Amino acid sequence: MAHHSQHTQSSHSLPSRRSALALGGGLIAAAGLTACSGGSTGTAGTSASPLAPASSAGGSIRILDDNTNKIFQSGVVAQFEKDTGIKVEKYEQANFNDLHDRLATLFSAQDSSYDVVMTWAAWSAEFGRAGWLQPLDRSAVPQGVLPAALDAVSYGGTVYGLPKFASAQTMFWNKNLFDKAGLAPDTAPATWDDFVSAAKELTGGGVYGYAADMGNTDGAYQNFLRVLLLNGGTMYDADNKPAFNSDKGVDALDRLVRLLRTDKVMSPSSLQITNSSDLNTLFANGKAAIVFNWPAQYPVAVAQGALGASAVGNGILPGITVKSASIDGSEGFAINAFSQNKAAALKWLQYVTTAPVQREMVQKEGWFPVTTSLLQEKTVTSHLPIVSTYLQESRYPIKRFGAPWYSDVVQQLSTGITTAMLGRTTPKKALDTAADQASAIIAKYK
Amino acid sequence: MPATTLTTPSRPHAPTAPGGGRLRRGRAERGDRRFNLLLMAPAVLVVLALFAYPIGYAGWLSLHQWNDKISPVHPYTGTDNYHQLFTDPAYREALNRTVYFSVITVLAGVALAIGLAVLLTQQFRFRALARVLLLVPWAVPPVVNGIMWHLIFDGDTGIANTVLRGLGIIDGNKQWLSSPTSAMNVLIFAEMWKLLPFLTLLFIAALQSVPANLYRAASIDGAGAIRRFAFITLPSIRTTILFALIVQSMWSLKVFDTIYVLTGGSGGPAGGTTTVNFFAYLTTFSNLDRGYGAAIAISIMALVLLIAVFWMLLFRAPSWFVARGIGRRGPGGLGPRRRTA
Repeated sequence: MAHHSQHTQSSHSLPSRRSALALGGGLIAAAGLTACSGGSTGTAGTSASPLAPASSAGGSIRILDDNTNKIFQSGVVAQFEKDTGIKVEKYEQANFNDLHDRLATLFSAQDSSYDVVMTWAAWSAEFGRAGWLQPLDRSAVPQGVLPAALDAVSYGGTVYGLPKFASAQTMFWNKNLFDKAGLAPDTAPATWDDFVSAAKELTGGGVYGYAADMGNTDGAYQNFLRVLLLNGGTMYDADNKPAFNSDKGVDALDRLVRLLRTDKVMSPSSLQITNSSDLNTLFANGKAAIVFNWPAQYPVAVAQGALGASAVGNGILPGITVKSASIDGSEGFAINAFSQNKAAALKWLQYVTTAPVQREMVQKEGWFPVTTSLLQEKTVTSHLPIVSTYLQESRYPIKRFGAPWYSDVVQQLSTGITTAMLGRTTPKKALDTAADQASAIIAKYK
Repeated sequence: MPATTLTTPSRPHAPTAPGGGRLRRGRAERGDRRFNLLLMAPAVLVVLALFAYPIGYAGWLSLHQWNDKISPVHPYTGTDNYHQLFTDPAYREALNRTVYFSVITVLAGVALAIGLAVLLTQQFRFRALARVLLLVPWAVPPVVNGIMWHLIFDGDTGIANTVLRGLGIIDGNKQWLSSPTSAMNVLIFAEMWKLLPFLTLLFIAALQSVPANLYRAASIDGAGAIRRFAFITLPSIRTTILFALIVQSMWSLKVFDTIYVLTGGSGGPAGGTTTVNFFAYLTTFSNLDRGYGAAIAISIMALVLLIAVFWMLLFRAPSWFVARGIGRRGPGGLGPRRRTA
């Protein structure tokens, strides 16, 4: 009896089995609906009309950037808030190597936690095509923005953002080591053969004539791409078919392999250096005589305790069958297609391209400014002499081949490149295999 | 002695009580069951939300073409993603690497941990300090572990080269992380260093529960250290070995953070450290192919289950043979004795 009464009591004070099942079923159904709602992912931005500047914009924004630039945290954000009245609720930096996957996860969840995100050539193509970046109206693009820098935030004729700095690789050499090896310290190797000869002279005593950052996927790709362009080759033909396994491509990879394996002028650590910052350090420490690197190499090399300005040579990259060529590394900001504060976000994008911010970018970070007028401004060129090299380099092709399939193709291609560098396959076989794989990947996007 | 007749044991009858007591008891039992179910409901819902739903969702995702970079439409593709597993050389290579990694880390890891545990249960000076030092690798966060080994095995400035050169094992600096084979071996080394403390502690605890009089009796019978280890220690910690093998197998299939940090997020060089789990990550998050990535994840789950079942069957097998009188069981042999009465 006591047992029975207990049961009765409990059935009054607790939900019945039916209601418990209903509650459970409701939760599962809600979870299922959440899952199904993911099906519409990727359509938001594609149907969005291009964003034009608003006469007034207020509210607040949140920004997710890579960890390249310190100037935003150290003053630009505060000045932006003061000048525009827009509050920057959060300015967050993340490691570049981690940012892609973080952004992809945010976007695919249609997350609006960040209004502004960092972008560059590959992501503008990938995320832009997926409909995750807000297209911008041409009226939103400030006058005089460098075409190469604008390319890095655009894809297929659509502008998805505005650049925060321009960048291209140039050649840096250690004048002290040149002098020590009996080479003219102020004369840049003008051709690839000159470069290889100099590198041979410079190698010895724990110093290598040349070093590169080929230790991860993108590093292996960009080092190959640079030699490919210097050899007059191209990644894709006019129909987007892989062309990197052409004779020029095979010759380019063969030359890269020879630097490491035959001529032994490339530092063996090149195959495990996973970012350009480590290459900056290697060069600044005098362990590599020549590097092909981004502009940020310069402030590191001339910093106190490093080589010093008088010991750093800088020039355009030495060509093989063309005079010169380079790869683009410009970065910018784009607006999250799911943002609720797009007008205010656009104000940030435009603010970053203004002259005061760009001058600060040049002076404190060493990156190139994004407008043609600033490239020629005396205050800029006197502070960052390598800007004049960029102007020379700009006469020749500067490419990156950003595409929606960039990361997929680069993964396959870099595996082939590294395998060839290790001597485990021939350059031709490595590139032919990668080209077949790339064709299959690209076919999925049509 | 009368012959006994074997009969199928019948379910005990429920006691009857006058006045329909059996019926009331039946209702009460049902009520009990409902009440118990109700109490369990929150836990069941949590399990459903945290385990069943993600697994079910992954299963559902794996039946679709779901790559936002290619199309915003995600059609049902049946088992296409699973077929791709069998034809994709990248998956096959990742699986081979995983097998290589797992076999070494599981077998060598467990063997080393047993050895260390036996050593640390002996009486010697500074034993307490040695046990404390054993915990150090376990206290290091996985990401820090990866960074640390990356620095140690750096080809130019790493201490590994300095030590090995000093010992005369290598002539010049070796670029450990630039070749797929040596990078994989560095990964194995780093993972073993991280996993050994847990496994060793597990075995120390198991060894402490082995009655000391067994060893004393064996010594009196003339058994040496090896025989005592083989016929007393190993059988006594058999269930712990099984647990360690299963847990370590699962961890080896799931290894991720050390690879990520050691290789700059690429699983390189030349994909040399891309295990199945890392391949699933690259497919899902770098290539955004969530359908295929989910199929890979499901295959990992199946592998975990298969391996767990394999170890359980393997550990059950000797008892099964012994129970059927298969195999020699001599004096001092391992396993249950033959019944004599």
